[in-house]
Amino acid sequence: MAAVIAAEERLAVRSIARERLGSMWRHPILRAALKAILTVLVATAITFALIRLLPGNPIDLRIDELTRDGSMTYEQARDQVSTIYPIDLNDPVPVQFVTYLWNVVRGDLGSSYLSTTASVTSIIFAVLPWTLFAVGTGLLLSFVVGIGLGLLAAYYRGSRFDQAVSTIGSIVSSVPNYLIAILIVLIFGVQLELIPITQMRGALSPGVHPGFTLEFIGDVFFHASLPIVVYFLTNIGHWILSMRNATLAALEEDYVVAARARGLSESRITTAYVGRNAALPLVTQLAIATGFIVGGAVLIEQVFLYQGVGLRLLRAVAQRDYPVMQGILLLVTVSVVVANLAADLLYSKLDPRIGRAS
Amino acid sequence: MSLIRVIARKPAGLLGLIGVGGFLLLAYVVPFFVPLHNTVDIASVYVQPSFDHPLGTDFQGRDVLNQIVYGGRDILTIGFLAALFSTAIAITFGSLGATLGGKIDTIILGVADIVLTVPHLIVLIVVAAIFRPTGFLVIAIVLASLQWAGLLRQVRAQVLSLKEREYVEAARSLDLGLPHLIFREMLPNMASYIAIHFIFAMTGAVYAQVGLIVLGLIPQTGANWGVMLQLALQQGAIYFSDSVLYVLSPILAIALFQLSLVALASGLEDVFNPRLRAT
Amino acid sequence: MSAPLLSVRDLAIEFRSRRGPVQAVRGVSLDVAEGETVAVIGESGSGKTTLAISLIKLIPRSARVTRGEVLYRNEHGTQDVLDMESDDLRRFRWNETAMVFQSALNSFNPVINIWAQFLDTARAHGLSDANEVRRKADELLALVHLEPDRVLRAYPHELSGGMKQRVLIALSLLLGPRLLILDEPTTALDILTQRAIIDLLRDLRAKLGFAMVFISHDLSLAAELADRVLTMYAGRIVEEAKVGDLFYQPRHPYSVGLLRAVPRVTGELGALSSIAGTTPDLVNLPSGCAYHPRCPFAIERCKQEDPALVAVDSPQHTAACIRWQAVAESVGSRRPAEAL
Repeated sequence: MAAVIAAEERLAVRSIARERLGSMWRHPILRAALKAILTVLVATAITFALIRLLPGNPIDLRIDELTRDGSMTYEQARDQVSTIYPIDLNDPVPVQFVTYLWNVVRGDLGSSYLSTTASVTSIIFAVLPWTLFAVGTGLLLSFVVGIGLGLLAAYYRGSRFDQAVSTIGSIVSSVPNYLIAILIVLIFGVQLELIPITQMRGALSPGVHPGFTLEFIGDVFFHASLPIVVYFLTNIGHWILSMRNATLAALEEDYVVAARARGLSESRITTAYVGRNAALPLVTQLAIATGFIVGGAVLIEQVFLYQGVGLRLLRAVAQRDYPVMQGILLLVTVSVVVANLAADLLYSKLDPRIGRAS
Repeated sequence: MSLIRVIARKPAGLLGLIGVGGFLLLAYVVPFFVPLHNTVDIASVYVQPSFDHPLGTDFQGRDVLNQIVYGGRDILTIGFLAALFSTAIAITFGSLGATLGGKIDTIILGVADIVLTVPHLIVLIVVAAIFRPTGFLVIAIVLASLQWAGLLRQVRAQVLSLKEREYVEAARSLDLGLPHLIFREMLPNMASYIAIHFIFAMTGAVYAQVGLIVLGLIPQTGANWGVMLQLALQQGAIYFSDSVLYVLSPILAIALFQLSLVALASGLEDVFNPRLRAT
Repeated sequence: MSAPLLSVRDLAIEFRSRRGPVQAVRGVSLDVAEGETVAVIGESGSGKTTLAISLIKLIPRSARVTRGEVLYRNEHGTQDVLDMESDDLRRFRWNETAMVFQSALNSFNPVINIWAQFLDTARAHGLSDANEVRRKADELLALVHLEPDRVLRAYPHELSGGMKQRVLIALSLLLGPRLLILDEPTTALDILTQRAIIDLLRDLRAKLGFAMVFISHDLSLAAELADRVLTMYAGRIVEEAKVGDLFYQPRHPYSVGLLRAVPRVTGELGALSSIAGTTPDLVNLPSGCAYHPRCPFAIERCKQEDPALVAVDSPQHTAACIRWQAVAESVGSRRPAEAL
């Protein structure tokens, strides 16, 4: 009898725990956070696999290199490589992964092949903000302007404005963004000489010091303007078309007709009734777009010689600096995950139908 | 064919059809009639457009137009293969997850979400830098390995909605089995999604491919638009007015091909939507 | 007798469609006196919703008014609603005439709360004092038996269908309109809520004295609330009578059909009948009387002549049927429950 009671109690505790976990899963913010952590975990695992486990991986290659001429023993080589990568190669593989994970969380991504004093983390953090700034500005601008144009295109559906905006938008966003970048350099920079591209190279002009001065901020924008323009042009098409479709759908909704029946002004209906409902789902797409753009940033930074994380990655590739490569992969992924999380949180705040305890 | 007629009804669809058809001809058929001019001729470096060389020559005196003709085949082939693989993966696991539901569905969806979050090109760059793939198939597989995620979510959403429809219930009650359910009942209704996304998968594959080639990470031999572009950039062809055509030609070829694909996809939008089709 | 509050004269509306023009409303005339309740009863596809929305000129872009007027009388005189534009129209809407839609379920903006939508409505009509609006809202919500604090703070998705319908009714009375138009006010609701809404409307009408036009396919609603009933078929009014006259002495075969189709709760289980045939294609209407393909009283002449409304029994009772006397005989003057 006592055993039955005890068993029942255990079951009760377990089901309470499961309920708690279940309710945690259902809460959208917590779920988004959990997903973010999981994604970083998986990205770390993939990176670990790439550099450690797959055949032909950089760590093994490095050890081979060091032991090839006989100047080091296998153990010595392993130890040396362990200082470069945030992994202790003397441990069994699963433990290596845990060490790796732990170090990554603490911010230790190893050091560059070229200079063991330069930590990968510091290298990347020197350039990452530039990329995030350019990408973020370009993306936000394209979102805001794109939504405005899309709304107008829907309202003036069928007009020449609509056709022009929709066609140009879809053309520019279908062409690969790095090609547009090259074309800008070619046509406006070289052929027409409208843009001083040589001066615009890099992220900062020589001699300008970081600080909250107008000179610094102005210089930053000067150098970032071409990448921002490219991000802006190549993404705006998507927002225009999405918003146009969403607005057309929203205009058909009953509550818009009902609002008109109540005598509300067209401008109020456009902003709070049509606009908000149409734009809201697009906020989630903002997050997904971040991932894509950051990928394309590599090539665009190459074209404009903009010293962001993309350009740094290419340099690491050219120098076969694998620790820096894997560091960039991880940190960029984390940035995108954080951006996604921010977008999810923003959405849950904006849409009253999400995550509200009624 | 009535299919072509429906696509051609929209101006975008018509242009897309012509464009894609034209490029397919250019890449696969024209080379049979035009020999490859691969010889280096230092005397004719960056020649102006003429009857012999309608698009001029490159930094080694080779005819640009000829390279354009031959440069599409590899890119189109790899793009097609990559799109094929990613579409296959997306359909299989998307419909599987949706029909089976439960834990399997959660796992599949979770993996897809993660893959969608990760920045594709950077992963591709790192993978290419470490493993240096060169074979067609390998490259196609690598490209496809990240692209399936977007389509998978769409397929899954479609299947989920179709699952509730009556004819699926009917088929299920007849106990016709899972493969029949997926392939005979649901997929034909998603043909439009699949076709359109196949096309977009191709544009994505071409984008990634050319990007990686330009960065020198997947070296290709033979004439190739991406290689043309890479060499042109390397040679600084942007900065000389003589070499403008050499750098512009592959850019235009790639851009026009992408545009044709997108236009064709928009033409297809109306094809499979019976409500839009009914006049 | 004073002039009617609302007077629709020979209104005709057609829609553009791929197959040709759809004649949704084909010459409808109706009058609504102050404080009166008029019911327009018809099947879906009879054009009744189009008629309703035209009363506040809410016709979609794909439709146009081919003839007729919607005359509304207030203390400034009589105006044709269809001639009103922008500011005048906006002032007219909700102030003089409020419309409660069928889908109260989707009549509210999902992303802003109820209070904001009350305020939007008030502000659009020049009432910018939030305290004043709040006071009125509290009053009205109490009238419809809702808790103002809870409801105003809520978002639409947090309210049940019945609650939303009641909020919409309260909101419709915000500016003290003299005419309330309701399109299928009870259709999407469960039967208990229907009862509550009907009682509520009756209550409010007694307290506030507004006129009502409601559109429905539900005859029982007409029986409960209407003073006069009009039955509508294929864009035309086919019978118009005081509520009692229509129910006990219907003179148009369609009205008879509608009445017969309502199952009885009391008495023995009689044969349930429905009207034979299908709703007419408003692009290709039948020749002559649009009802003849489904009419048990139809004769050869019905295929050729499209009958006008003629007075039957009394001048306030009209029917558009050349065989109304035959209908009258078949129905008799006994209650429909026994005769049919």
